[in-house]
Amino acid sequence: MGIEVKNLVKSFNNKVILDDISFKVNDGKILSIVGFSGSGKSTVLKLISGLIEKDSGEIITSGGDIAMVFQYSALFDSLNVFDNISFALRERKDLRGKYTERELKKIVAEKLELVGLSGIENKFPSELSGGMQKRVSFARAIVTEPKIILYDEPTAGLDPISSTLIEDYIVRLKNETHAASIVVTHQMSTIRRTADSVLMLYNGHAVFEGTPDELCKEETPYTKQFVEAALEGPMKMN
Amino acid sequence: MRVYYKSTYTYKFYCYLIKEIGKLVSTLGNIVLFGIEFLKGLSSKPTTFREIIEQSSRFGVSSLPITLSIVGMTSVIVAMQVAGEMVKQGGGNYVGMLISILMVREEAAIMAGFAIISMIGSSLASEIATMKVTEQIDAIQVLKVNPIHYLFTPRIIAGTIMMPLVVVISSAIGILGGAIASNVVSGLSFKAYFDSVWFGLNMHDLKVCIIKSIAFGFVITLISCSCGMEAKDGAKGVGLATTKAVVWSFVAIVIVDLLFAAAFFY
Repeated sequence: MGIEVKNLVKSFNNKVILDDISFKVNDGKILSIVGFSGSGKSTVLKLISGLIEKDSGEIITSGGDIAMVFQYSALFDSLNVFDNISFALRERKDLRGKYTERELKKIVAEKLELVGLSGIENKFPSELSGGMQKRVSFARAIVTEPKIILYDEPTAGLDPISSTLIEDYIVRLKNETHAASIVVTHQMSTIRRTADSVLMLYNGHAVFEGTPDELCKEETPYTKQFVEAALEGPMKMN
Repeated sequence: MRVYYKSTYTYKFYCYLIKEIGKLVSTLGNIVLFGIEFLKGLSSKPTTFREIIEQSSRFGVSSLPITLSIVGMTSVIVAMQVAGEMVKQGGGNYVGMLISILMVREEAAIMAGFAIISMIGSSLASEIATMKVTEQIDAIQVLKVNPIHYLFTPRIIAGTIMMPLVVVISSAIGILGGAIASNVVSGLSFKAYFDSVWFGLNMHDLKVCIIKSIAFGFVITLISCSCGMEAKDGAKGVGLATTKAVVWSFVAIVIVDLLFAAAFFY
């Protein structure tokens, strides 16, 4: 089933950030959430991952773990790549002691291979490029075989080639894990290359829901302004 | 005539006061909640021996040279000021007792506390605050690990184990420093000084000193970690959290010290 969100509402300091948002993502599919900065995209991810509490509405998942890839990777800078990736397997209450050191090494090596970074277990995050840090955070996210993967602006701050690589890995992870994925992004290239469906948010409301093709073709004022990156239109920057 | 009371300085002052008191209560509440969460986590063995050793090394070994220097110099300063005068007045036999009691009951613990806050407390607060503002703590939560158990437990355990050790060694160095200074300043013999030390000190003093140090270690690490955990808004937030940790820890150990003095020596 993946994940279903119904009538989600969230406010901060009496300001409504999300107002009655609903969507569904099936297993093995990617939903891209787009919109201006401050439109509540990242809030959706934080609500689904349990980092913040919703005011009302429902978040229904098919069970299993929820993983999140953070905008700036959020790797633990005092730990090396091996300890970063094996963190949940070592420290989580229900997994602690379940794996031997040898098994952990094997799992970490597999995950690193999946993101194309074999052999960097002993490096520290500060020794890696932005793109590599992002891929290590992918490996850390999928180490517990999650059923839902959330990506918060995975290509932000990366050069176009690194962005393309990251987009390819998002699709690859979807195919390997069959997880339901949500990608928050600003970039049309990420939407085109990764998304099965798109949800556009503005001022806490969903103003478009459809496929990437429909986003590009549909001539509504919101989609037109977003695709053309136009200053004129119904969406005003704060 | 209508009075626009909201624009008066008195109204603004009270608003500011209420806001600051609110912040104070909120921080205090968070420290208590974090403390409760830490105690809850102890039952589930949330940390490894390796982590505790790492944190203990940071807490004890790295802070020891500066702590010993501060406590040693304090005792030398005290001895320089009182030893000569006491010997002149015929009280030379009490110099060792005075300095040892001062060191064991008060100076070593409080000076070591200040040194530990400046070196370790600030470092703990800024480390955790940086993790908070760079979403590393969110990442810990998403990975279903309790950040309080993972981050606080080894640090607080290390603090409560290492603080008494640092204070006992500092007391010894303080007493020794007093002996040297008394000898140099007033010609008081080492034998007379140490006879006076053994006469004046007792096990009760040492026990209170150790218990107080444990309390200091707990309070400093808990407050420092808690203030770090409350950080927000980037680099500025890290700076504010660190300052807050240092100020709150200073105030807290003075209050704890006062409570101990009232409970054991009043």
